[in-house]
Amino acid sequence: MTQYVIIGDGISGSSAAETLREEDPDAKITVITDEGEPLYNRILIKEHAKGKLPEAPISIHDEDWYAERDIELSLNTYVTSVDTDAKVVNTHESGEIPYDKLLVATGGTPTQLPVENSDADGVHHFWTFEDARGIREHAENADKGVIVGAGLLGIDFAAVCGAQGIEADYLMRGDRWWRYALSADGAEIMHEGMREVGVEPVFDSGVDHFETDDDGHVTAAVDPNGDRYECDFVGAAIGLTFNTEFLRGAGIEQDNGIVVDEYMRTNVDDVYAAGDLTQFYDVLLGERGQNGSWGSAKEQGRVAAVNMAADEEAEGFQWVSSYSITHFDFPFLSFGHPTLGDEHAERKYSDTEWRRIAFKDGKIVGGVLIGDLSPQSKFKQLMREQRVVADQADVLLEQSVDLDELAPPQEQ
Amino acid sequence: MTMAASTLRRRSLRLERVDSVATDATVRHIDQLDSETLGAVYRAVSGGRPVTTAETDLEPGEVIVFTDYYRVERV
Repeated sequence: MTQYVIIGDGISGSSAAETLREEDPDAKITVITDEGEPLYNRILIKEHAKGKLPEAPISIHDEDWYAERDIELSLNTYVTSVDTDAKVVNTHESGEIPYDKLLVATGGTPTQLPVENSDADGVHHFWTFEDARGIREHAENADKGVIVGAGLLGIDFAAVCGAQGIEADYLMRGDRWWRYALSADGAEIMHEGMREVGVEPVFDSGVDHFETDDDGHVTAAVDPNGDRYECDFVGAAIGLTFNTEFLRGAGIEQDNGIVVDEYMRTNVDDVYAAGDLTQFYDVLLGERGQNGSWGSAKEQGRVAAVNMAADEEAEGFQWVSSYSITHFDFPFLSFGHPTLGDEHAERKYSDTEWRRIAFKDGKIVGGVLIGDLSPQSKFKQLMREQRVVADQADVLLEQSVDLDELAPPQEQ
Repeated sequence: MTMAASTLRRRSLRLERVDSVATDATVRHIDQLDSETLGAVYRAVSGGRPVTTAETDLEPGEVIVFTDYYRVERV
């Protein structure tokens, strides 16, 4: 009987456990997590923090779900190290757990701002359901906010402030939000969305330090220019630090995440990884990629499990991811790898509609759609087909995209 | 003819904007939908077009989180 151990009960770990049970009915499967509750919907916790969604619909699995599938779930369990020679996972209080095949799906932890008083009361990071509960409770009683981190995670704090009636300043280091994927035209639509919910973008700013009162509660953020922003609520989202400390000495290759091939295998025999902590070989991109979207993490867990159970290269990971922002009156969707590529095409259609496509070697590798999502499935199709279309960008930038207007694919 | 039309109606869905969500509701974010279902939800929300069960994996009664919350209802 094969013993599978999965570290992490997010969507990738849980997806892997479910798939392993289907692929290997007789196996022993153990899922270890340091969280105190089984799988929940990480995409929806921001809706809870906004005060719009109750807790119950956010839970996905209860403990019975694991019992019904004969999957051993170990909550509140901290992995201290992995011995890949002895094939043993060492835990803080639950002893040694042997494995035949191991999946690492531990995700990340929000990176703390490296500035004075960043651990003050009222400075929030946002990753777990427990974080969301704390943010909601505090936000309901806060008046003035500061947000730090001009990316996809930071904007969730802007939405929380907007929904909870907190007047906020959004301190950004550069001249626009998500400057790696958006031009000034695209970013300005997002800035206007923020302003409409009471969040003011502040550019060429950031945080030098926080001020606190005698009780250690944050009272202000001071930016590198010396400007002071009073606040009793801070949302900091400058990135994730991947949870791989317990792998020190295990011989697993890392490079800002765990390096895996398209079969989700690490460089160490019988050790796999899945989810947002992987640096995976993206067959569509032709190089390593990284992705934190829900769908990608779920599919990586499934593919890893298929290959773990088959003990061979049964299925490669090939996926076009989507990440949406649904906080404003207009929709926002990024797909693939919008910050990569060697060529870009973009167009603004109105005050709330903008589109950008990223190409590599003439093929679409990602993009961002604001306001009008109608071409998303067509762009994803072209990406999956790996068609060379950069020389026909005008067709792709038409308001209504008709793929029949593209020249037929050339024979390879 | 009448039966066929009735069957067709039963297979049509619409999205109803809702202000709150019951604790026992099934809720999904649009990032959990496949591309086809996402496209159908977008067309329904932006253009008021009905959705057919054949083109999506939407379930009557569930709530989809998009720019607002939308409950999937049979037409």
